[in-house]
Order: sequence, then C-alpha cells, then structure tokens
Amino acid sequence: MTTHPQEAPAESGPLAVRLRGIGKRFPGVIANDDINIDVRRGTIHALVGENGAGKSTLMKILYGVQPPDSGTIEVDGRTMRLSSPADAIQAGIGMVFQHFMLADNLTVLENVVLGAEKMHGIGGAARAKIREISDAYGLGIDPDRRVEDLGVGARQRVEILKVLYRGARTIILDEPTAVLVPQEVEELFDNLRELKREGLAVIFISHKLDEVLSVADDITVIRRGTTVATVEPASVTSRQLAELMVGSELPTPQTEASTVTDHVLLEVRELRLPDPAGGRELLSDVSFRIHRGEVLGIAGVEGNGQSELVEAIMGMRPGMTGRILLDGEPIGRLSTRARREAGIGYIPEDRHRHGLLLDAPLWENRVLGHQTRRPSARGGLIDARAARADTRRIVENYDVRTPGIEVHARALSGGNQQKLIVGREMSGDPVLLIASHPTRGVDVGAQGAIWDHIKTARRAGLAVLLISADLDELIGLSDRIEVILRGRLVGEFDPGAVTPEQLGSAMTGAGQDSAGKETDA
Amino acid sequence: MNVRLTKLLLGLAAPLLALGLAFLITSLVLALAGDPVGAVWSQLLQWPQPRNQINILNNAMVLFLSGLAVSIGFRMNLFNIGVDGQYRVAVFVAAVVAGEAWLPGYANTALAIVCAMLAGALWAGIAGVLKATRGVSEVIATIMLNFIATSLVAYLLAKAAVREEGSNVIGTKVIPESSWIPGIQVWSDVATELYGFIVITVLAGVGYWFVLNKTRFGFELRATGQSATAAVASGVSAKRMTIATMMLSGAVAGLVGLPILFGDSHSYGSTFQSGLGFAGIAIALLGRNHPVGIALGALLFAFLDEQSNPLQILVGVSPDIVAITQGVIVLTVVVSYELVRRYGARLEQRRVAAELAAGVTVAADGDRRDPDPDPSAPSAPDGSRGPGDGDVDLSKETTR
Amino acid sequence: MRRTKFAAVLAAGVLALAGCGDSGSSDDNSNGGGGDGAGSDIKVGLAYDVGGRGDQSFNDSAAAGLDQAKDEFDVQSQESEAEDGEAESAREERLRTFADAGYDPIIAVGFAYGPAVQKVSAEYTDVQFAIIDDSTNTADNVTNLVFAEEQGSFLVGAAAALKTETDHIGFIGGVETPLIQKFQAGYVAGAEAVNPDIQIDVTYLTQPPDFSGFADPARGKTAAQGMYDAGADIVYHAAGGSGGGVFEAASESGNRAIGVDSDQYNTADPSVRDAIMTSMLKNVNVAVYEYLSDIVNGEEVGGTVTYDLAADGVGYSTSGGFIDDIVEQLDEYKQQIVDGDIEVPTTP
Repeated sequence: MTTHPQEAPAESGPLAVRLRGIGKRFPGVIANDDINIDVRRGTIHALVGENGAGKSTLMKILYGVQPPDSGTIEVDGRTMRLSSPADAIQAGIGMVFQHFMLADNLTVLENVVLGAEKMHGIGGAARAKIREISDAYGLGIDPDRRVEDLGVGARQRVEILKVLYRGARTIILDEPTAVLVPQEVEELFDNLRELKREGLAVIFISHKLDEVLSVADDITVIRRGTTVATVEPASVTSRQLAELMVGSELPTPQTEASTVTDHVLLEVRELRLPDPAGGRELLSDVSFRIHRGEVLGIAGVEGNGQSELVEAIMGMRPGMTGRILLDGEPIGRLSTRARREAGIGYIPEDRHRHGLLLDAPLWENRVLGHQTRRPSARGGLIDARAARADTRRIVENYDVRTPGIEVHARALSGGNQQKLIVGREMSGDPVLLIASHPTRGVDVGAQGAIWDHIKTARRAGLAVLLISADLDELIGLSDRIEVILRGRLVGEFDPGAVTPEQLGSAMTGAGQDSAGKETDA
Repeated sequence: MNVRLTKLLLGLAAPLLALGLAFLITSLVLALAGDPVGAVWSQLLQWPQPRNQINILNNAMVLFLSGLAVSIGFRMNLFNIGVDGQYRVAVFVAAVVAGEAWLPGYANTALAIVCAMLAGALWAGIAGVLKATRGVSEVIATIMLNFIATSLVAYLLAKAAVREEGSNVIGTKVIPESSWIPGIQVWSDVATELYGFIVITVLAGVGYWFVLNKTRFGFELRATGQSATAAVASGVSAKRMTIATMMLSGAVAGLVGLPILFGDSHSYGSTFQSGLGFAGIAIALLGRNHPVGIALGALLFAFLDEQSNPLQILVGVSPDIVAITQGVIVLTVVVSYELVRRYGARLEQRRVAAELAAGVTVAADGDRRDPDPDPSAPSAPDGSRGPGDGDVDLSKETTR
Repeated sequence: MRRTKFAAVLAAGVLALAGCGDSGSSDDNSNGGGGDGAGSDIKVGLAYDVGGRGDQSFNDSAAAGLDQAKDEFDVQSQESEAEDGEAESAREERLRTFADAGYDPIIAVGFAYGPAVQKVSAEYTDVQFAIIDDSTNTADNVTNLVFAEEQGSFLVGAAAALKTETDHIGFIGGVETPLIQKFQAGYVAGAEAVNPDIQIDVTYLTQPPDFSGFADPARGKTAAQGMYDAGADIVYHAAGGSGGGVFEAASESGNRAIGVDSDQYNTADPSVRDAIMTSMLKNVNVAVYEYLSDIVNGEEVGGTVTYDLAADGVGYSTSGGFIDDIVEQLDEYKQQIVDGDIEVPTTP
C-alpha cells in the first residue's frame, strides 16, 4: 500500500471514478440525464443537490443497485458493468448509508466480518486487520466493543471501517452528517481527510453547503437529474452554490415578531419514563411550559429522549409518570385519541411509520388520526364524501402535488407526503402542534411552505413543540430552545443569541462524556 | 393511458396469471406422474350437473364463511390460524343448544346461532387477550387453541353423545325439525337442496364489506393492519383493536359449521366435516380479503373438491391431484398478486410523476408565489425514489 | 324409473367426455386384478375409508377381498378413496357417482359412510349397497357387514399377557371412536383374563372428528416409543395406517407389536416384520368376498351379517411362529367365547 502524503493532489491526478453521460429514465420521468462526473483519487468529491435531484439514483447506479439506461462508468480507468452491489465492492466501491446497518448487540468485529467471513476469517486475523485499518486511518475503533455501547459518530466510523475492510478504494457517504452534532462532524471530516491522504477517493453526498465547502476538494451540483456544474470550493460562496442547486432563492426560517402570550397552553411537570429494559430512565424529571403563540424548540442529539418525550405527551408510552396539563386540564391519563380530540396535532418524526398508510389513498390518510371527528366521520361511520372534499382542500391549500386524491400515499414524494400530513394535522384546528422533524427529507420548496404554515398558525395562537435535528430550523423558528441530553432538559437558550456551535456543545454535554469523544486525537 | 382501464386490467391480470400458471404446473405434475393430462382436465373443467352445482354452492358457502373469518384477521395483519378450532367449538355449542331445544322453532335456531358466534368469539378472544396483554403470537396461540378445541370437543362430545345401536357414528342430539333451516329447492328434479343458510352467508359477506369499508371500526382495523405504528399514533388502541378483531374473526368463524348443522347433518358428530378453518386460510389468500374475491375463491375450491370423486371413479386418477391443484393455485395467486401489486405500485408512482411533469396540476401551480421555472423539477424525486422506496417497504412487510 | 334412465344417460355422457381425453387408462385401472372383464355385467364400486388401498390394514383387507373375487369371478371394479375430514356430501357424491356410472353393487368401507349409504341407497333403490362396520341401515338394498372385533382383540390381548416379560403391555387406538373402543375393550379383557394385575397403557392418537389418527405413522411411532420407554414390551395397535409407525418403534427398541385387521406380518415392511408377534384378524376380505360371491351367484343379499369368532370373521394370525407355543391356550379361550362361556365386553 502506497502512502504518499498529498495535501493537494495535482489537477491531473488519476481518476478513481469517471461517469460519462449517465442516464436513467422511468416512464414520464427522467431521474438522471447526462450525468458527467470525474472523481480524482485522493480527493473528497462532494455531490450536492436538492432532495430528489437525482443523487440517490446516481448513487444506486454507482453502487450497482440499478443499471443505467445509458452512459459509461469507469473505475480506475476501466469501463465497468456494475449489476449488483457485489460487483461494486469487487470494483473497490463501498457505500456508507445514512441509516446505519449495524447489529447493536454484536461487537464491532462481528459486525465487520458479517458477510465477509471469507476475507480474514472471524477470529484473530480479522481482529488484527480491523486494528490495522483503524490505525492506518485514525478511526480509533476497538474491535471488541459492542456496537450498542458506541456513540453515533463511532458507529459511523464502524460503517466506514466495514467498507474499508472489504477493500474499498472509493467510498460513497450518503448524507453522513445528518445524524451528527457539529463537533462530531468535525471529527468525521478529519477522518475523511485521513482517507484521502491515504489515496482513497471519497464521494460525499450532502445538501449542507457549509460543510461541503469546508471539506470537499471538488463540488458537483446536480439539479433536475443532471450535473449543472463542477466547482472548486474556493471559487464559490454558499449562496452561489445554493442558487445553483435550486435554481431559485433559498428560503430561510426567520420568525418575525414574537407572538408569545402569557396563557400557558401545555404544562409538563416532572415527566419520567423508566426504561422497560431496566436501563437508565429514558426521561427524567422533564418539566416545561409552552404558551399560546409560542414555539418551543427541543435540541438534542438523536436518541436522547426526544422521541420518548413526544410519545409520552401523545400518550403512546405506557409507564410514564408526572403531569401533563393541556390548557389547564390534566391529560396524562387520557388515551392518544382523547388527547388528539382535545386539540393536539401531531407531525411524527417518521412519517412512514407513524404518519401515513402508504398503501391507502390520500383521502384515507386524511381520515387517519381524525376518524372520530367531522368531516372524516359521522357517528360510527366514515364520511368518505366529506373526507374526500377536505382532502382536496388540503391538497390545494398546502400545495400537495398529486394528480388526485385517490392515488396511494406511497406514490407521492417525501415532501408532498409531509405537506399532506401538515395539512391534515392543521385541519383539526389544534391548540397544540407537536412537530417532530417537520421538514426532514423534504425538498426546499416544501420546506419553506411548511415553515410558513407553522408560522401562520403560531400567529393565530398555536402552541408548538418543535423537535428538529436541523439547528438552523430550530433557531429560525423557535421562541425558546431547550436542550435535551440523556432524557433531561439541560439548558435553555434564546434562539436570537445562540449559535449552532453553542447548541452543539450543550447537546453533547458541553464536552464532558460526549458520545463522539472516544477518539480524541 | 386510461387510469380506470389500467386498474381493471391489472386487477384481472393477477388471477388470470395465477390460474394460467396453476394450469401449467398441475399439467406438469400430471405428466410427470404419468397420468392422462387431457382426460383429467376434460373431467376437471366440466360444467357440473345440477346436483353437483348445488353441492358446490353448499360447500362454497361453508368455505366462504371460513375465508371471511380468516380475512378479518388478515386485514389487521393478525393470522388467525385458529378458525378451525373456533368453528369446531362453536358448531358443537350450537348443536348442543339447538339439540336441547330450550326455545321453540326458529327462536331455538337464532339462539343457537348467537351462541355459536359467542363461542367462536370467546375462543378466538383468548388468543386476542394473550396477544394484547402478554405479547403471545396469535399464530402460536391459535394453533395451540386448535389442539385444545379438538380435545375439548372430543371430550364433551363423548359426554353429550347419543349413540345409535349398531352405528359407529357418535353425535349430539338431533335438532328438532322445527328448528332446521329449510333448504331451497333449485332444480325440480334434483333432491339435493341449497342450504337456506345462504341468506345468512350473504348477509355476513355484505356485513363484512360494510363494517370494513364504511365504519370507523373498519377503518381503524384496516389502518392497524397496514401500519400498526401509524394507527397507534392516530389514536387507535392497539390492544383493544387486537382483541376486538380476534373476537370478530372468531364470531364469523362460529358461523362456519352452521350451514351444515342446520341444513344437512342436524347434529354434530364424528363424521362432521373438519379442516374447514385451514381451507379458509387458503381462500382468504385467494380472495385477497375481499368478499367478492373470497366468494369466487370459495366457489373455485368447492368446484375442484366436487370433481375429486368423478376424477377418481371416471378417470382413475388419484383425487390428490385436486389438493395439488388447490395448493398450486394458492401459491400462484399469492405470487402473481404480489408481482402485479409491485408492478402496479411502480406504475402509479411513475404515473403520478409523469402527470406532474406534464403539468396536469397546472391549476395548483398557477397560484404558487414561487416562480418555478420548470414544474418537473420537484417531480423528479418521485421517479428516482420510487422503486427503491418500494423495495425497502416490501422487505419490511415480508419480515414482519 | 325416470331417475335411473336419467342417471344412465348422464353417466354415458360423462364417460364419453372423460374418454375423449385419453384412450383407456381408466380401463386399465378397473381391470387391475387381471382376467378379462369383457362381457361381465357386474361392475363393483368400492368406496374406501381414509387411507384407501395401500394402508396395509383395514382398507387393504377390503381390497384383498375384492381382488380375490375378481380372480375367481368375472367382475369389473373401480375404487375410490375418502379424504380426511371431507364433507358429508362428498361421501354421498362418491356413492352417487358410482351408481350413475353403472356400478352395482357398491361397497362402502367404514362406518363413516353410514348416513351416506342410507341416503343414497334410498335414491338408487335398484342398486345394491354394502357397508362395513355399520348396522343401522334397514333398506332392502343395503347389506350391513359387521365384525366382532372385541372377540379377536380378546385373543391377542390374552396372547400379549401370556408373552409379556414385564407384565406391562400397551394399546394404541387410531381415533377414539366406539368402533376402536371395541378393540380396546376386548384386548383389555383378554389380557386381564390371563393376568388380572397386568399393567395396560391405553392411548388414542386423535379424537373424533379428527380422523388423522388413522393415517399418521409418525404419531403412531411417537406414542409407541413412549409406551416402550415406560416399560411396556408388547403394544397392540388399532390405528390403520398409523400402525406402520408402531412397528417401527417396536423394531427399533427390540420390543414387539401386534398388528390389526390383516395379517400384518405379511403386509408390513419386511424390515419391521420380526417385531410383529401376531395380528388381530378382522377378515374384511372374507366379508367382501362372500358378499360379492353371493351377488355373482345371484343369491339373496341384505340385512346384517355379523362376522365373529364362530364365523371366522375375526381371529389371530400365527405368521412368523412367535406364538406357536401358546396357540393351545388361545384356542381354549376361543372355544369359551364361541360357546358363550366368556362374554367379551364391547365398551371399555
């Protein structure tokens, strides 16, 4: 293995991957059209574009999941036909998915060798190999630790190690920073720089432009399925990049004048939720208030109790103790349905799991969660006519792009699905909206629209509990931000004064026993 | 392309594909076994004689009710394997109640039917409660309850049995004739009559359709079946729903044996038809949990069953070929529906994308503040994400 | 009269249709016993119980009687077998299909056909029916062929008690019906006649209306293994096709078993043959043969014919020579039963 430290590889460095004229069509839709990308060995090549611009399709083509309709793929100078991920791995291409594919109850070693038992066995040789890779790239991974004990950042490094172990020389990372706090992002970037120093090529998919600008050597922008430009980070600003991406101006989540009243709408007192598995409390001693017209943002690294908090307020978590008062009325013992009927709207964090019936038509999805109320229901019967009419209203008012309300929810893009959910949850005239990651995975246009809806409702006196991993969104929409860490609220911030970095510190416990700190170099 | 036409063609494609495949596979089995392929099909596909038509309808009635019971569970992703035990317990209860004749005439019949449904519901409810409170898989619980039902009924039958001298058949007391449900004479020259229970059977089918498609309860049941997590988030109590669905399924299962009881055997005994619950699973799969589909599936199975005797006596082929054909049909139906469903889902995603790209929703676009230069931009994701999304979700379904 | 004509026309049509698809394999099948059937007017329809020909037991015994009749007389035949848990209408249809196709007489093997024979025999009054193991039918065109299974079982029970070394024997019934309980009652009575203190394990594989116990060798094997493990050294089975499993268990554990219905030493798999000490003979073949012989010879049939020890309708086998030393004692018991000195119970 050759390791020549090249801080800045020559412009004419050898090409790891060369894509020419890649096209992929589905009837009526061109997913990819004339994609041209050159990825040089020893560089980090960022691929940016709106959600749904065609990045995923392109990566699926490169990873052998789908064949292209046209164009050529060259890997290390040789034209390849990649018809399966196995082919791609064979060709030295590895992929790190956004959602980790690790078995929590196995050790790092077991996770890494799983499916690659033939390479170095499953014992000492494999362990030695893992140590060797970890040291070579500064990943700081102990092969014998259990994955469940690792933080998010470390898990991601295990994923990277898995790919390296299988001999990858070109690594694709799909939105790797989405799950990380700012500090962890920096560590990841250090690792990536290490990889490129060792002569690997890294393809980095993102839509966070600041990150891209700070880490990439080349940036290719994809819009509407085609490559619109390849630029060097030094020559563009993030504003310019964004405009290349969207072809129009980026919306920003700016809250106007405060509409907070002194009328307490939601009061949560000493909420506790024990871990059914017997571990530490999932929520301990959580207390807060939200007033009419106020947006309370909850910041935190994923898995620190946000989901549990939301589900406890919605009545989906048995075993909860403490008091929840909605407009002065205790609702802590009510069923989920009764809480919804009392005026809580709920935008769940995972719309596929909790928000939609994917194989049901849109109008039935309109009924979901409102099946006891007009216009969806009349007595014990579903009022299909009224539900359909109201669905048409939502489709129109919330700009849900669909040819009709009889299509299945699955057929819509993520952004349109989310707009339907927002429209539905707003239609019950809620007094409180619980919004978990309301714009996750949503294209820019839809994101702006959803923000507008939340702001409008807030002006009308809606109280909002906003959970988001997007710190810009939190800061832009919230009137107040609470940071949650290990099931506790650990600090309150004024969004007008706080920076994402400060929030990030608080989210990881201000530097002490942070999840991503195992490998401080 | 015309959307309705596409839907209709897709709807027809699956069963036709399935039957075609089943025909081929069965022919292959016959040919390999050295049986006369042509003779078997010419017997099997013969239009039944009037007497056999009635038999087919009668048998289909029973199979339909069984399929209906199973499919209620299926709609909620509950696998009620226990219809067999439920109907056995229920028909026994009905036979005893009706045999004792505490009430006169049809009041006795009505009481017995209600008791049968209650018995089925309670028997199935055990599995429902176990699942809701202790998380016991309903598959395991209902299978075990089948065994218990078999032994329990055997035990109670031995207690309640009335034995006729010289006969080896044991059975419950014969129901008084005033409580029989009279048959319907369809053909004047054929003695075999259509079970009068067909009225209740049809009502059960219509009721199933109404409850599932028109009521809140049905909506919640279907929602829970499609996505338990989404249903819970929408305010459905998963526990209550599990118990209620199992009990409803069991109540319908309680009807399964009744056409025979009130229309033919008039007592429950050792020669009472068994295994109906398992046939119901196949028929529910065949009918895609739709009442019309279940009815067609039940008719098809009953038709094939009816051919098994002539096949053996007139063609000299083992009647096992009927069971093989039925099994093959179920498999091919499941496979072909899944294929067509995936194709249809993909087609719809593309269609949505295409229609959006072609500017069908221009009206909606018109009042957008954002001057979007090209309406196709946001539509690109649909097409490119579609197939992947589909695959992921399918794998979720199969592992569930 | 009108009905018969209609049926005959229908049958001819059905046959013609069935015939056009193939050129005679059904003929092969019906003439399976050899001998040219051409010219004979007698077509025998034999409706088996679950298991059919090849169950090495009850149904096979009926088949043997048919085969014998076909060897000696000029008759054609067709056979059809029941399916587990089938509808009552399926049994009726089996008989009707036979009748419509011109089969006469029609022999129904097994009590499950009782109600069906009753119903169909009334519809086809000029067709002769016979039913085995049921004596409830009183129609003129029905002959009931029944057996005194308890008497034969008494003798093999005595044999088991005489031969056991552990004073511990077993009984496995296929399905707990009154019929099989007759076997049990006789077996227990016979064993206790020899040794009042003998330990007898009794089990049934299934309960009615689940009749799979007659066709489930795996379950039979498990049940028998349990008994051998518990110390029994001879197990008598009245479980039809499930008996094969009982023999396997006996052979593998070095113990012995008692067969049922036919001489299973001759019909069972040769590998387990040496485990079969004796068999309780229920000579269904004799009954079938004699019935057919009466039909061929134009003799009067109908009513109930009981095959007991006196009529040699039941008995025990000595193939293999395992019980040659106790034949004398067994014959003594037999004589006492025939003479009425011993009355064998029919219910346990």
